[in-house]
Amino acid sequence: MNTILLNRGVIVYLSSEIVLWGIFAIAFVVMISILYGWDFDKYTQKQYILQKRAWLTVTILSFVSIFKFLLLPYFVYTIDTLKDIVPGAMCAAGVISANSYGLKLLLLKILILFGFTLWIILNRYDLNAKNYPLFKIKSWFFILLFVALTVELWLDIKYFLHIDINIPVSCCSALFGQLEGANPLPFGLNTNTMLLLFYILYMLSMLLLFSSEAWLILIVIPLFGVISYYSVVYFFGTYIYELPTHKCPFCMLQKDYYYIGYLIWSSLFGAVYLSLSGAILQLLTKSNSKNLYQWSMKLFTLFVAVCSLYIITYYIRSGVLL
Amino acid sequence: MKKLIPIVTTILFIAVIAVIFISMAKEEQPVTVVKGNKEAKPLPIKLNATNDTQCKMLIKRVENSAEAVAPDGRTWFFDDPGCMVLWLENKRFKDKAKLWVYTIDTNRWVDAKRAYYGVTDATAMHYGFGAREKECKECIDFEEMRRRMLTGENLTNPKIRKKLLGI
Repeated sequence: MNTILLNRGVIVYLSSEIVLWGIFAIAFVVMISILYGWDFDKYTQKQYILQKRAWLTVTILSFVSIFKFLLLPYFVYTIDTLKDIVPGAMCAAGVISANSYGLKLLLLKILILFGFTLWIILNRYDLNAKNYPLFKIKSWFFILLFVALTVELWLDIKYFLHIDINIPVSCCSALFGQLEGANPLPFGLNTNTMLLLFYILYMLSMLLLFSSEAWLILIVIPLFGVISYYSVVYFFGTYIYELPTHKCPFCMLQKDYYYIGYLIWSSLFGAVYLSLSGAILQLLTKSNSKNLYQWSMKLFTLFVAVCSLYIITYYIRSGVLL
Repeated sequence: MKKLIPIVTTILFIAVIAVIFISMAKEEQPVTVVKGNKEAKPLPIKLNATNDTQCKMLIKRVENSAEAVAPDGRTWFFDDPGCMVLWLENKRFKDKAKLWVYTIDTNRWVDAKRAYYGVTDATAMHYGFGAREKECKECIDFEEMRRRMLTGENLTNPKIRKKLLGI
């Protein structure tokens, strides 16, 4: 048997994922029956039963979503602990690249959490309205989430099954640091232009969120998310590690760096999720997403402040920049 | 204040587009693969701006560099004939690929499968297999070079190094 599957963290993680998928599968079957028979214009016994079942699916999805939000950091934490048994790995970066499933799985998990955020927000609006205007949309979205969760579970199993502890993996320095002159940054940016773009995009995002420009939010926020990722890995991260050659998105999640990565990444992803969900809700319903945008602005500001503070404190302490 | 927001937003938006476009215009990424070489000819290597596909190093000298051309015209570059052999081994088109090496005796591109290889030459990755067009004493052919690369019998192996160079 694969040694990885005997790891306590992996057992807990995979069991949780399977149980959650099982619960979601029950809700999926119920949802299919609801979608077939749903008609708000009818006042029949059947419609009444379907409405009660709809509440059941909402409860199940809310339950699953809470655990999915907890499971992503737990997944990262678990693969981080696997570095002790996967040769060559110094952090989760090496373990996640141990086979071709790892990065796809992580990306899918991030997308699924966005899907859950959007669903929760659509559902909240739908329940507050008198006639459930988004019921069909959120139900189809529910089915899409189930498909994504099924693929995720398949990737989860494939990923952990195919980690070979006899084959050395690359450490984060090899994956992100030593690129032999190749520029890892997008659009041909260098560090200076990337930082300029980072702060311009932050200001632009704040203005767009403040003025609730939904279409522009949908364009600018994903771009800010991408530039933020590269800025953290290739610039701000070096100040967290206090080492100009150390470039890694995962090491900052470790105890040595006071788990600051969890705050940085959760504030960034939280802000992106809320702003995009707010923009989609605004476009779908013409409603006001001010509250979501305000939370998003707070999280973006927290993210930028934490990143910037590392540079400022390093400069104050040492008098130089890296 | 509210009147200023659209103006500032527009300026910032233009600034974002300007930074991205200027950066993209300036970008000079190292070459890793060139497409469309249907005639399977050796292509000139842009030194210090081309990456070896196997070892990821920048190619700094044309001598002993190598190229592999797939049947569809894609061409990959290597700083050492040994790198090309290692990279090619698990490729589906390894038997159909056209291989080139730049020789150190005649200073030109020759068919890698017809070239001869020294065993103690100075090459970029220190495998020792310097490419030659003309046969020489102690030179080996391509198949033998390939076999030695795959079994690790090259100068990066301390035992072989000791045996061939005495150090």
